[in-house]
Amino acid sequence: MELLRPSSLDELDGGVFVAGGTEVVPLLRDGILQTTSLVDLRAIVPRGVRDGRIGAGTTLAELESAQVPDALREACRLAASPQLRRMGTVGGNLLQSTRCWYWRLRYPCRLHGGDRCHAAEGEHREHAIFANDFCVSAHPSDVAAALLALDARLHTSRRNLPLAALYRLPDEADRRTTTLEPGEAILEIEVPPAEASVYLKAMDRRRWSFPQVGVAAARTGARTRIAFAGVAPIPWLLDGETVDAATPLPRTAWKVDVARALLRRALAELG
Amino acid sequence: MKLVVNGEEHVVEVPVETSLAEVLRDELGLTGTKVACNEGHCGACTVQVDGMPVLSCITLAHTVSGRVTTIEGLRDHPLVAAFVRADAVQCGFCTPGQVVSAAALVAASPEPTVDEIRHAMAGNICRCGTYPKIEEAILHWRD
Repeated sequence: MELLRPSSLDELDGGVFVAGGTEVVPLLRDGILQTTSLVDLRAIVPRGVRDGRIGAGTTLAELESAQVPDALREACRLAASPQLRRMGTVGGNLLQSTRCWYWRLRYPCRLHGGDRCHAAEGEHREHAIFANDFCVSAHPSDVAAALLALDARLHTSRRNLPLAALYRLPDEADRRTTTLEPGEAILEIEVPPAEASVYLKAMDRRRWSFPQVGVAAARTGARTRIAFAGVAPIPWLLDGETVDAATPLPRTAWKVDVARALLRRALAELG
Repeated sequence: MKLVVNGEEHVVEVPVETSLAEVLRDELGLTGTKVACNEGHCGACTVQVDGMPVLSCITLAHTVSGRVTTIEGLRDHPLVAAFVRADAVQCGFCTPGQVVSAAALVAASPEPTVDEIRHAMAGNICRCGTYPKIEEAILHWRD
């Protein structure tokens, strides 16, 4: 494997991108990601916050104390241990893979191109309660839920898009969970101001764990947007539906109660 | 590649996929840095890069450009004696990482509160459960 360090966007040409490495390095080690070129993006992806635009190379630790909406700051603070928050970038966080243990252990599941969802048939207490008919994995990004609720937009090396359009549900024809193309890098995240926003998270233990359920809510004028982490194969925007629309598995019904309770608390905090 | 560790410059030739922890332990013989989970969850492998605690087991050595400080570089730090005084060690495997994280904390905040300690140390897991003693060691690190 070679390590490339491009100094301009024009030099980007495939390979596996790495910035903080907290997601990519374990996936490479486990053989889930395979490549002959690893591309260190740190010299070309913006870092820092300016006028509501967040460089994708900004670390979670930097965002935690930046002038950004409360929901985003809190999602960063709760996302991981201090070391991981100092290493991991916001752009990389949006592109995290599921923590589904079958997927991580390289079972030939649907997400890996196979024809079974081992979790649906097996152990799935931490898995999805929405959009789980094909693959029951849960997306772990707290930050993505916060940014979805905040109606963020992405600027990539090729296009501008709403954050919601970064994600797609895997299906029979295409198992990917994002619409990012090979060689396309997230550069900046544009976050419109919100009057009030909040992020609440239920974890297995009190400190640093992936979300069982995370809920973000952001209010602007008469409109409140709500998004969840840990409940669907992709970050989940509650769009014209309620938590009652959930389709839990036999052992994820408890998550519906947690989602409902967290949402009630989040809305009360928004005022 | 060149790597500055505890103030000394080293030249090492390793494949791209080699972690900083592997270079420290296997190439430089600095075995004070421990590897437990090897996937970034536990904090045992914590070292400082330019004074900031990072996880050396999931840091690729080739991506490090800053100055690395390991537990060997903190041999004379008052925290080491403070950990001994407070008996903040049981099996001791997590201790190097604990001291490295604590050293970064007291460098930034010489008189940390209990809340600051708990926040800064949350990424270093101790399965023996010596947390109260670790907290005591850090609270009284200069005594």
